[in-house]
Amino acid sequence: MANWLTREALERLVDGLVVTVGLTIVTTFGALLLGGILASGRRSRSRAIRRASGAFVDVFRNVPALVLIIFFAFAVPTTVPQSDRAAVFFDNWLWNNLDGLTGVPIPYYAVAAAAALIANAGAHLGEVIRGGLSTIPAEEIESARLLGAGRFRLWWSVAFPGALRSSFPAVSSRLIHNMKNTALASFVAVPELFHSMQGEITRSFRATEFLALVALIYLGLAAAFSMTLQRVETHLLRGRRG
Amino acid sequence: MDDVTFIWRSLPELLIGFPGHRPGGMLLSILLAGVSVSVGGVLAAGFGTMSASGQRALRLPATAFVWIIRGVPLILLLLLVHNISSSAALLGTEGTPTRSALIALTLYSAAYFADPIRAGLQSVPPQLIEDATLLGSSRSHTLTYVRLPFAIRSMFPGLTTQAVTIFKDTSVVVVIGVADLTTNAQLVLGADVANSDRWIPLYLTVGALYFIAALVLTKLASAWELRLIGRRSSLDVRPA
Repeated sequence: MANWLTREALERLVDGLVVTVGLTIVTTFGALLLGGILASGRRSRSRAIRRASGAFVDVFRNVPALVLIIFFAFAVPTTVPQSDRAAVFFDNWLWNNLDGLTGVPIPYYAVAAAAALIANAGAHLGEVIRGGLSTIPAEEIESARLLGAGRFRLWWSVAFPGALRSSFPAVSSRLIHNMKNTALASFVAVPELFHSMQGEITRSFRATEFLALVALIYLGLAAAFSMTLQRVETHLLRGRRG
Repeated sequence: MDDVTFIWRSLPELLIGFPGHRPGGMLLSILLAGVSVSVGGVLAAGFGTMSASGQRALRLPATAFVWIIRGVPLILLLLLVHNISSSAALLGTEGTPTRSALIALTLYSAAYFADPIRAGLQSVPPQLIEDATLLGSSRSHTLTYVRLPFAIRSMFPGLTTQAVTIFKDTSVVVVIGVADLTTNAQLVLGADVANSDRWIPLYLTVGALYFIAALVLTKLASAWELRLIGRRSSLDVRPA
């Protein structure tokens, strides 16, 4: 093993990797759900819901993810008076239990960064999935309704999966982009992979080595994630296009 | 001083940078995006052509470049480029953070534009190429005057969306201290604890500025697209 890559350094990078993977999983599911809701909202019968979903999509797509992360993590806590800030955002029953439950430290910043990433990726997905919704055959919706599906059932079992299926290539490229965007959470001190790497560089002054190593890890993550998404796509398409 | 006065006073710093310094703020964000999109676009034409080529020796390096740049977070690419570039003199310029940001964003744009250009090249009707060849144009002539213009026009909407995305992505240059809009927002707030009440209004302003700029760029792009498509119909060579 190279002398710059000590055992402790490697362990800290792995800790960061775990947070990156966790953040990716949470934001992937969150963004898919939000995207589905926004896409349906834009086709709602109510004009207010259509307007609100459209505005949400426009705002959160056109503001950079990094600015959203800084806003949620650093600006939102300033709405609470300074004397109560620590008690609300950092040291209370919820945050202390969150750490114990998951085994990895989850500071408020991590939750804020996840919320910002979900809002950003969800808005992008909302636009993509909306295109998918319009490809669902009317008879599919009609037959589900005849079989007695309620509104929620119709959305969850027919509309949402159907829309995902036909927009999947665009959905997966946005999800991979979102995985790489988790590195932005390092800016608000979320202890993920990029942040661990910055710590190791400060400790060892071996910037090029650690940057190259972490670049390789991200390439591996992107490859693994895109293979997983391809399997999901095959699964979604099974029995279709027949 | 209330919030509105504070925002009003910081607006010049957010839009064009601090007085007595080089351009910064939103102006620098737009300059960074403009240069990297144009230079990256030219590079992408090369990489896209290589990826669409039938020869493996051309296709493999281009595909590898695109895959590597697209596989790592931009923030990491930026640090990697800054790390290498800050120790080397290039074209007589010093290794400043702004130069690193330009190189990294150009590589990033090149990788993201190459793929649509490749797809566009592959969608050029064979008949068009055949016609050009029959009219006596050489292979390189056909590429620059027939195939690439066709590919770029057919992929235009995707390319402009990507360009606007790159404008928003310039915000990550804050990690190496380039004085763009995001960095200047932090500088305006400073380390003063008394400023903590300004975070919300200031970042709402920053978000609004990005939002407006992205919207304006999108509108400009669709106007340009309309003109381009209008021109194509008069040049349309496909049989009716």
